[in-house]
Amino acid sequence: MSLTKRVSNWFSERLGLDDLPFFKTPDYMYHVNEWLGALVAASFIYTVISGLILLLYYNAAAGYQSTETIINQVPYGSVVLYSHLYGAYAMIILAYVHMFRNYFVGAYKKPRELLWILGVLMLVLTLGASFLGYSLIGDALAVSAVDVGAGIITSIPQLSFLIPIIFGNYDTGDYTRVLALHIILVALIGLLFVFHFFLAEHYGMMPSRKVKPKAPAVYTKEEWSKFNPWWPRNFVYMSSLIFMTWGFILAIPNALAYLNGLPQYFNPFMNPKPAPPPNSPAAAHITTYPPWFFLFLYKIADFTSDVVIFLMIGVIIPLVYLIILPFIDRSDELHPLKRKVFTGIGILMITYLIQTSLWGDLAPGVEVSVKDQVIAYLIPAIIVALGLTFIKPVDAQLKPSRGISPLTSLLFMVVAMLFAGSVVELIDYPSLFTFAIAVFTGSLFFIGSKAMGKVVLSKGLPNNAVPEVKTTTETPTSTETKKKFAEVLMSILFVLVVVIVAQMWTIPPTGYASNLFGVDLGLVFLMLGEVISLYHYVVYKKPVEKEE
Amino acid sequence: MPLKIRLGNGEKGVLKTSDLYFIQKLLKTMRNPKTRFDSREFVEKGEDYFFNYVGKNVGGVDEGRRNFLKGIVIGVAAATVVGIIPGLRVLVPPVEQAAGFPKSLLVDVSGNPLKASSIPVNSPIITLYEYPLTGEPNFLLNLGDKSGNPVSISPVEVTVPQTGKTYKFPGGVGPNNSIVSYSAICQHLGCTPPYIHFYPPQYVGPSQLTAPEPDTLTAQALLAAKQANIPALIHCDCHGSTYDPYKGGAVLTGPTQRPLPAVLLEYDSSTDYLYAIGAIGVATYPEGSDGVPSQDPSKDLDTSQYGSSVGTKTQVQANTNPFSGS
Repeated sequence: MSLTKRVSNWFSERLGLDDLPFFKTPDYMYHVNEWLGALVAASFIYTVISGLILLLYYNAAAGYQSTETIINQVPYGSVVLYSHLYGAYAMIILAYVHMFRNYFVGAYKKPRELLWILGVLMLVLTLGASFLGYSLIGDALAVSAVDVGAGIITSIPQLSFLIPIIFGNYDTGDYTRVLALHIILVALIGLLFVFHFFLAEHYGMMPSRKVKPKAPAVYTKEEWSKFNPWWPRNFVYMSSLIFMTWGFILAIPNALAYLNGLPQYFNPFMNPKPAPPPNSPAAAHITTYPPWFFLFLYKIADFTSDVVIFLMIGVIIPLVYLIILPFIDRSDELHPLKRKVFTGIGILMITYLIQTSLWGDLAPGVEVSVKDQVIAYLIPAIIVALGLTFIKPVDAQLKPSRGISPLTSLLFMVVAMLFAGSVVELIDYPSLFTFAIAVFTGSLFFIGSKAMGKVVLSKGLPNNAVPEVKTTTETPTSTETKKKFAEVLMSILFVLVVVIVAQMWTIPPTGYASNLFGVDLGLVFLMLGEVISLYHYVVYKKPVEKEE
Repeated sequence: MPLKIRLGNGEKGVLKTSDLYFIQKLLKTMRNPKTRFDSREFVEKGEDYFFNYVGKNVGGVDEGRRNFLKGIVIGVAAATVVGIIPGLRVLVPPVEQAAGFPKSLLVDVSGNPLKASSIPVNSPIITLYEYPLTGEPNFLLNLGDKSGNPVSISPVEVTVPQTGKTYKFPGGVGPNNSIVSYSAICQHLGCTPPYIHFYPPQYVGPSQLTAPEPDTLTAQALLAAKQANIPALIHCDCHGSTYDPYKGGAVLTGPTQRPLPAVLLEYDSSTDYLYAIGAIGVATYPEGSDGVPSQDPSKDLDTSQYGSSVGTKTQVQANTNPFSGS
């Protein structure tokens, strides 16, 4: 036996890698749909690590100055700070995707009710911790966000005792309490995560509906024991996902740092830099807005002047609904079209969340008449209700082998919105530039809708799907050529990584160029994740991974 | 035991051990009735069937290939670690050691240069700026007489009572030579504003004896001001030290034994701008230099880690009026 084999055996024996109490995973579950929780966890871990580095420098008594010091003077401080912000953004987006995916597959049903409730609580804590973290910067936006938040609380006199408890002496520039609560909430997320994680490992991921069409959807001990153990396939697949998540978190904000002079409505999403301090004259010229994940609340505040109604619509009703969901949807049906009411509510929640957030971004603080509210919120509801009434659940055997992943559909939605936005922009300011952008996003939209259309429409026309299903199940295309290709790709990526790493050593730690380090490190993480993913494909991927 | 053939003198490898093992395993599987290789289907579908068959039953990737791929993964991971190494500099805090005094333009809160002629005479509002390091406050004073007319401050010899040594204070600057600047850290035990601040003429009187903290004047301070015949003074409410702003920050009453160090100002009469260019007197921190007074304020610069250099601009802030409460 070779030395490396002996060393790895020594470790796997001591660590008990062969019989970890983790969920054993069937072959067909190595797709990102089943691993969305791992993506959330990866962004959580990244944000905690970068946050601890920032904690070494942050001074709660001089929030804005120490933020500026971190950006301008600490080596690679801006890289860490911007990616900390976008790590939190990624965590929020991925948590929503994770939640709604599990909503539509019915993962909240027996026996996973507690898992679901813990998850909803973690989402609330995440939003709370993000808001407090946003306030720590102490720029004009943070101060106005705190003002608005505190204003909402104080307008209910019985709750105003909470102001000093939450914000301490924030008004006088002392952010000690906000910092402490920020860390406490994150620690709570970590604690709940441990429970969430072990419950998830206990019940396992949601099996395919073809295998377990009804709740409780769990594998029996015998079925379960023949699946892949955690070590090594799960480990390999998971690390590829984690590194890719980190790559995006690092590369995106540090690249965005080089964009300047964006139109105002892009700022909440695409500007990682702090605004001027609140006491500076420059602060008078900026439009204040809340962090983007609270834009929907910001808009709802324009609908009504009654804070109680506002809190009911914006926070309490959706939250209570999500928490008690496992107890109101008690049927054992898992197919979304066999529980149409809940599917419809889910679709409307997503629609309203995005719609209201964008509305808050484009027209913040503009009052909305009741008539406009009805138009804006009734139309999606009618479309969803009509659509769901007429769509019938497709017979499982006629279903195309695989739908689109939630990430693909998210990407498509982003592209569609960009396209819509660029068209509006073209109508408002017709020029060659806006035309070029509209054409570009339009072609992206066209390509996307072509790809999506096949999947979406074939569900409505089951006859068309039949030949397709046959081709995929009976003559699987040779994976061997693809694997050869993957190996070549791995070698190319290795060379690329070495080149980028060599370049990283030449980037100055502070100043304008320092954010390139974050972009490069992000690319390196992305490529590392991709190489591991290709390794997983070559070594573990079987030609047929049927749902079992 | 790799398979080799001999051709003339040299040996040539044909199959590696792992390949041999793989072939053996494959043949065994092909003969096994449970997983028999269907040659008819092979003829029909060609290599696709074969590769799929191998992948399904023997685990397509042989040992050597797998090790090569593992090597690439480990290589990329190692390169990533190498890439992270320069990033570890994020853990090294930027400790700035100011090598000398910068020339800093005094600017107002909006960042525009401060006009010297716009500084109010005998202002009771505590007017401060940081120099030469952040976290080191200094008073900016436009001195006047009892009726509020600016007074020209002439150069004067200042004595350090603790050592008996003297140094030359260069006098006031500005359109009327009435603008002076002193460190706002009390030389007794290091109290900072609002405990130590400037008392304009209207607040130098018996009524301040009973004023609440931080506006209380001691009887000694009043007496010393009367004897020195000065309308205004700098007084620290912590322990009662009093300084003479008209005479280079000289000591009027104890317990301090050191005068306030002065910031050297430069006045540009063409633009009406003020620049801080250095300091004179004892070291800024009374606790610094092991408590031994220095004649050289730059003594602090190389040991101080209290802040970083203010750079070419420093902001003048006039925020607190200590007398507004009384």
